[in-house]
Amino acid sequence: MKPLLKFCGMMNEKDYKKAVASNTDLIGFIFAPSKRQVDPGEVGQWATETPASPHQKLVGVFVNETVEKIARVVQDAKIDIVQCHGNESVEEIRTVKSFTGVDVYKTIHHNDRALEEMKKYSSVVDGYLIDTKTANAWGGSGIAFDWEAIPSYTKEAARQGVPCLIAGGVKLDNIQALLKYNPLGIDLSSGIETNGEKDERKMSGMTKAVNETYQQPDHLGRFGPFGGKYVPETLMYALEELEKAYEEVKHDENFSAELLREMKEYSGRPTALTKAERLSNHYGGATIYLKREDLNHTGAHKINNALAQGLLAIKMGKKQIIAETGAGQHGVASATVAARFGLSCKVFMGAEDMRRQELNVFRMRLLGAEVIEVHSGGKTLKDATNEAIRHWVANVHDTFYLIGSVVGPHPYPMMVRDFQSVIGEETKSQLAERIGRLPDEVVACVGGGSNAMGMFYPFINDDVALTGVEAAGKGTDTSEHAATLTKGRKGVLHGSLSYLLQDEHGNIIEPYSISAGLDYPGIGPEHAHLRDTGRVKYEAVTDSEAMAALEDLCKLEGILPAIETAHALAYVRKQAPKMNKDDVLLVCLSGRGDKDVHTIQEVLGGDKE
Amino acid sequence: MNRIKKSNFQDKKDRFVPYIMSGDPSYDAAIDIALELQNAGVDALEWGVPFSDPLADGPVIQAAGDRSRNAGGSLTSALKGIKEARTRGLELPVVLFTYVNPVLSYGIENVVSAMREADIDGILIPDLPFEESEELRELCGKEDISVISLIAPSSKHRMEKISRLGDGFLYYVTSLGVTGTRQSFSDDLAASIETLKTTATVPVLAGFGISTREHVQHFQSIADGVIVGSALVKFIGERNLLLQEEETKQKALEEIKEFVQELIS
Repeated sequence: MKPLLKFCGMMNEKDYKKAVASNTDLIGFIFAPSKRQVDPGEVGQWATETPASPHQKLVGVFVNETVEKIARVVQDAKIDIVQCHGNESVEEIRTVKSFTGVDVYKTIHHNDRALEEMKKYSSVVDGYLIDTKTANAWGGSGIAFDWEAIPSYTKEAARQGVPCLIAGGVKLDNIQALLKYNPLGIDLSSGIETNGEKDERKMSGMTKAVNETYQQPDHLGRFGPFGGKYVPETLMYALEELEKAYEEVKHDENFSAELLREMKEYSGRPTALTKAERLSNHYGGATIYLKREDLNHTGAHKINNALAQGLLAIKMGKKQIIAETGAGQHGVASATVAARFGLSCKVFMGAEDMRRQELNVFRMRLLGAEVIEVHSGGKTLKDATNEAIRHWVANVHDTFYLIGSVVGPHPYPMMVRDFQSVIGEETKSQLAERIGRLPDEVVACVGGGSNAMGMFYPFINDDVALTGVEAAGKGTDTSEHAATLTKGRKGVLHGSLSYLLQDEHGNIIEPYSISAGLDYPGIGPEHAHLRDTGRVKYEAVTDSEAMAALEDLCKLEGILPAIETAHALAYVRKQAPKMNKDDVLLVCLSGRGDKDVHTIQEVLGGDKE
Repeated sequence: MNRIKKSNFQDKKDRFVPYIMSGDPSYDAAIDIALELQNAGVDALEWGVPFSDPLADGPVIQAAGDRSRNAGGSLTSALKGIKEARTRGLELPVVLFTYVNPVLSYGIENVVSAMREADIDGILIPDLPFEESEELRELCGKEDISVISLIAPSSKHRMEKISRLGDGFLYYVTSLGVTGTRQSFSDDLAASIETLKTTATVPVLAGFGISTREHVQHFQSIADGVIVGSALVKFIGERNLLLQEEETKQKALEEIKEFVQELIS
């Protein structure tokens, strides 16, 4: 969600008018001894002459002031929110609230006991402001506190259901860094001044930074028009429960530490970043780097999300996990995690897919999972997902549904994206270390779209081209493809609004791709949004293009990629020659191809010895 | 005022509402069945629209939808079917039961105006919770079409919010899981329905899994009526071929009528 913006310390009418015009959410005035102290009567006059927009609120800042004085100022200066910036006790805040009848925010000074402080004011105050305090002045010293602490403040405020503004030392050149901590609000004073005066350009720079930072989805789980929760009423409570649990662990350091440990010690993260020199030379253009998700335990990126959701399931006290699977990769990852964490696991799989992926069925059973054969519809991934949802509806009290991609109802698309973002985050820091800069273009294959979202998301606010590659099967001009964004129409499948392959009556069409992991008739709602806004470019490549690229990587780099991943490589094969040697083209090597050897042999066998 | 809101339905006791799938086993046969149900003395009709991925339904209704689609069934023909049934004398309140995707594909506005034209009284979209239903409510409100909401035992704090939006009637889901026949029901239902009735301003009908005369009587005693789907759809499915032959059709319709009257009695 977009953070609340507060411009504070207006010293004269000119400042105030600039703030109104800037469209900031909150406009602050200092009524305590300070170089920015103003007269309540004058503020009242400015506010009468230039009324703020309906969504803007005036904030009065006080330090250990008497309640009578505060009440008088609120009236004279037409204040909407009182900010208590001193040592006001819970009881004093209560009195201010009842005396003035307006909302009261409490400033908490950042230190070791700050969180405990916040808890004391729970259900009394209407918002918080976290500030640095120096020996000489109460806050407003313009020094940034350790921003690593922001998530814990945000978490506590979110628990109390109130906003929490971060103040101190925020400037145009560090606001991007601050926004990465997803603060609920930002308070600015000296950061929007030049030579002691409020600076319009700095103000608009701040508003722009906040507005343009990619903040999706909204609280309803919408990415633009896409996403949402289109599920039977029987599931709504379970989704709300999941949303709440996810919000909690998102800001929970213990959870993050545990997940990090599992990723490192169990799955083998961080995965390598490999410079593909021979492949780059062969294509004769861009320098190609491969993010090696194939080196993860179980051979693909799927485990990142499965580990995280598995831990979340335990945290929520659920004993059973269920999962859907197409090719079996997510099923194997889920079964693996269930075995690791001692949970029971049911994997729903279409009868047709079970026949095609016999080996993975055996693997899942070996890992102790129960594989449930689905006979409805086309007996593939779409039908397995329907059946998993149906089972979830009936067993919602003790069952956790571990969705394997950035699809499904909110919060799944957001949650799976966040859990997979480790891919992009790691890549970013590896590149910084190795070449000291961002890549020029990032490429990933897209079925449901989880490896792509995990790779793209950390780059979304950067000046980097992002390209998703869909499966064109036998060609987008035939009926046998899985190119959802290229050929689909808007619609609802499995709980969210996105693009879908469907017939004229709104029935879902079975997709086709040589890769079992890409033949899904829908696509994650965030991809639909990123396509429509133009932030990510989506291309489609055919089975045969993918197979040719797969052979190149085998022969030139000694890496057998999954056929899914080969789709991203097929785009690279076309794109790299158009780029320069200095350009960096980064590919998410989402999985290894051992599982596909049989298919590859069938397709390529005829031409080989 | 639409037929659901009229006193015939609102003030009725022990309401019995059957669900059938449009186009199953054929376009014409489903209309015949609708008219036969009217003869049997039911109080309203839920008219199902076939869809490839009916998440809230069990195998019986999914199979009926597949039969319907194979016979050319769709949202378009479901709307047309009611229009035709009206000209053939169907007077019952009719609720269109459809998943959201066919509606989006057809266009929400187009669906609402086609419903008005076909003289359909309400719409129920199981995968459209009230948070996502604002546009539909607004458009239906203008055309006096009721938007029926589902309420589940798991709705908890949502129950009051949804019941306040109650329009026509409320559909209380008697068991978690999908539609389909069941042997038994949870004991807490009576209390839950009782609570719901205190905030509801429209009748509360119970559905999902109600398949026997005993079930019907039990739920009519705690709710304001029942909805029976899968049990009837299964019975119709078993008479699939009979219903499509001119010589045997009447007998099959007669059996359906008896089946329903037995449930109501």
